[in-house]
Amino acid sequence: MSDWIKRFLPFVSLVALCVLIAALEPRFLSAGNLAGVARQTAVITVIAMGMTVVMVSGGIDLSVGSVMALSGVIGALAMVSGAPVTIGIVAAIVTGAACGLLNGAAIATLRIPPFIVTLGAMGIYRGLVLLVTDGKAVVGVPSGFGYLAEGNLLGVVPVPMLIVLLVAVATHFLLTNTRPGRYCYAIGSNIEAARYSGVRVTRYQIIFYALLGALAGLAGSIESARLVTGQPTAGEGYELRVIAAVVIGGGSLAGGQGNVTGTIIGALIMGVLANGANLLGISSFAQQVVIGAVIVLAVTFDEFQRRRLEATSA
Amino acid sequence: MEMTDQATPALEMRGITKSFAGNTVLSDVSLSAEAGKVHALVGENGAGKSTLMKILAGVYQPDSGEILIEGQSIRFARPADALGHGIAMIYQELSLAPHLTVAENIFLGREPLRLGPLKVINRREMNERAAALLSEYGFNLDTRKRVAQLSTADRQLVEITRATVEARRVIVMDEPTSSLTTREVEELFRLIRDLKARGLAIIYISHRLEELDAIADSVTILRDGRQVYAGAWGEITIDEVIRHMVGRELTEIFPRRCAEVGKTLLRVEQLTLAGKFSEISFEARAGEVVGIAGLAGAGRTELVEAIFGARPADGGEIFLSGSKLDRARPDRAVKQGVGLLTEDRKRTGLCLNLSFAKNLTLANVRAVLKRWRLDRKQENAAAIEYIDKLHIRPPNPGKTVGRMSGGNQQKVLLARWLFANSKVFLLDEPTRGVDVASRSEIYRAINKLAEAGAAVVIVSSDLPELLGMTDRILVMRRGRIVAELDPQHTTQEEVLKHAAVEETDVQAGSDSPTNFSLSTSR
Repeated sequence: MSDWIKRFLPFVSLVALCVLIAALEPRFLSAGNLAGVARQTAVITVIAMGMTVVMVSGGIDLSVGSVMALSGVIGALAMVSGAPVTIGIVAAIVTGAACGLLNGAAIATLRIPPFIVTLGAMGIYRGLVLLVTDGKAVVGVPSGFGYLAEGNLLGVVPVPMLIVLLVAVATHFLLTNTRPGRYCYAIGSNIEAARYSGVRVTRYQIIFYALLGALAGLAGSIESARLVTGQPTAGEGYELRVIAAVVIGGGSLAGGQGNVTGTIIGALIMGVLANGANLLGISSFAQQVVIGAVIVLAVTFDEFQRRRLEATSA
Repeated sequence: MEMTDQATPALEMRGITKSFAGNTVLSDVSLSAEAGKVHALVGENGAGKSTLMKILAGVYQPDSGEILIEGQSIRFARPADALGHGIAMIYQELSLAPHLTVAENIFLGREPLRLGPLKVINRREMNERAAALLSEYGFNLDTRKRVAQLSTADRQLVEITRATVEARRVIVMDEPTSSLTTREVEELFRLIRDLKARGLAIIYISHRLEELDAIADSVTILRDGRQVYAGAWGEITIDEVIRHMVGRELTEIFPRRCAEVGKTLLRVEQLTLAGKFSEISFEARAGEVVGIAGLAGAGRTELVEAIFGARPADGGEIFLSGSKLDRARPDRAVKQGVGLLTEDRKRTGLCLNLSFAKNLTLANVRAVLKRWRLDRKQENAAAIEYIDKLHIRPPNPGKTVGRMSGGNQQKVLLARWLFANSKVFLLDEPTRGVDVASRSEIYRAINKLAEAGAAVVIVSSDLPELLGMTDRILVMRRGRIVAELDPQHTTQEEVLKHAAVEETDVQAGSDSPTNFSLSTSR
């Protein structure tokens, strides 16, 4: 019963939120506005897919915002120096994957807490991107690049939404239907038990962080396409929103729990909150307060559920 | 404490009923404990002992029923209330603060303070008082050491000491001896007699029934959340206790095995791990069950972990079916058919929040893969197969293992290695904390393994288990194998003598040790 509540509460909250905002401001439901929400949440959602995997495995990555900026800028630089758009996107993804690989390697082989490693990495990658660009935006990307963020497939489906959909389906399949996915939950549930069952824990942890990095790189591309520049300051504070999306969607900071659908709903809740607040003329400062409160609420709820389950299992 | 009227028990629980989410865990259970007496509480895993004690500790509130202290009805809303009435607990799951020292843990929440406005902790007095307590009890521990650095057994001693500081009326001990050595158990029993003499009522929970013979004055037996027997300990035999616990006669605790001994599956040569064990050589053949006996700290767990690769050895060689195992690592060991059932199933065994089916297949996910894809149907079918084979309860592949009883959890782990098609089974304390019925099912499964041609190595502190189940017993002492005994022609006393007595003592023909009453009968 309580499992059921836990699974549907985020969804019910999202619907209630939409209804409330639509009642206060009918413009919310216009096709243009909804497409806007989809575009704005795409970047967060793509990263949040990777974060779901890492958090299910019991890890966390605070450096995703910085990785996203670094990847976006490297991709933009590649294109500015003459590379075709696809190569620019691949460059961004590879950069992100490399950053994630380094994070994962440090966490898994040196056995340093992920919070500390990625807190440091957040500063390192942000510093690197500022050094590379001297703090200035990379301008002059090819005009076709903008399609990645602003284009519509068949004239109706926003391209970023399509990307989100593809990434989400793939991540869902990975987590629920493959061996790495199974190991991901096992490692997050009890890393020692996984090790003693013959799971190559170190290898899989590195893979999961690299995957998150690659998705942050992809998100970096979308973000620079949206801004039509490589911005060294892009993605500041995104780590918080990404982690919030996972937690609101039922992921646990303790690992072993979380799923793709939940995370998407979590990301949408925050996207809708931000959009609704804008429409209703609530300041972005107040929005931060609201988002922070939602995160605390979600974790509190999760914690209470867990305690109840533990009590019944005694 | 004041003298209590002998007619009124120090503690009485009357008609306690408790259910969780519609599931009745305790139904109309009563229990009374008199001052100066040891009251045994026994029952299989899941019978409701822990829940009853958590109600007594104020962790849970009963749905109905009452708790009386010296005849007065009292409600415990929270753990502090129970402590306030002088009721202290020693939990099975250790509840110490690992980063604090031994002395800080013993006096946690009741630190001696310096006089003056600042109420600073008087560290010297605390350490001195802790040291005095420990030496009074005969526990050999450094009060300034952090608990994280202590062995499980030593932590248990700290926990016991802390409870004696807190307890004024009642002290509850939940499986206090599960990780203690023979000598420490003796010290504990001496301490318990001491506590009795001081007028404390002691509630003692244990699976080791033979222990109760030494200390229990009365007993309450629970089965499926109901009280099925209560009376004086002397009026009931151990066989009757077991019958009440399981609700049926246990015809044979150690079932017979008819396995053919074949070729050598595991051979260990001169295996050494500095500070833990050295120059260990032995072999285990197909169809054979080899026992490893020894006191806690003799290096038995470290040895099997080294063979499995979880704790690589410094020197020596391991051969599996004749071929040398290079650079032992758990994943390689698993691939080559070695399974290790660890001694701590919650820490190194189970993924507690995952389902039974997922825990079952963890060491052999490959077997339920169709190309890249997990085949859930096949996984469920496998889970149901093992539910039938090992009588796992509840019979539900989707059951979260964290909510299963200890005995069933142990069966899940055994099933995991069966499912992984292991050929060599290293079983470290396979029946620790497991109830009698599950225990005999685990023994039957072990026999089937041997009969199917597996080599089984059992590390155990339970001597009847080693004598009843194995073909050979290797005795370890201080990291070396000091004897190999034939279970048919040896006694528990002889095994203990080898495990505990220095060679020189034996040669000098000194008196045989007297402190070996642990687990010597069943």
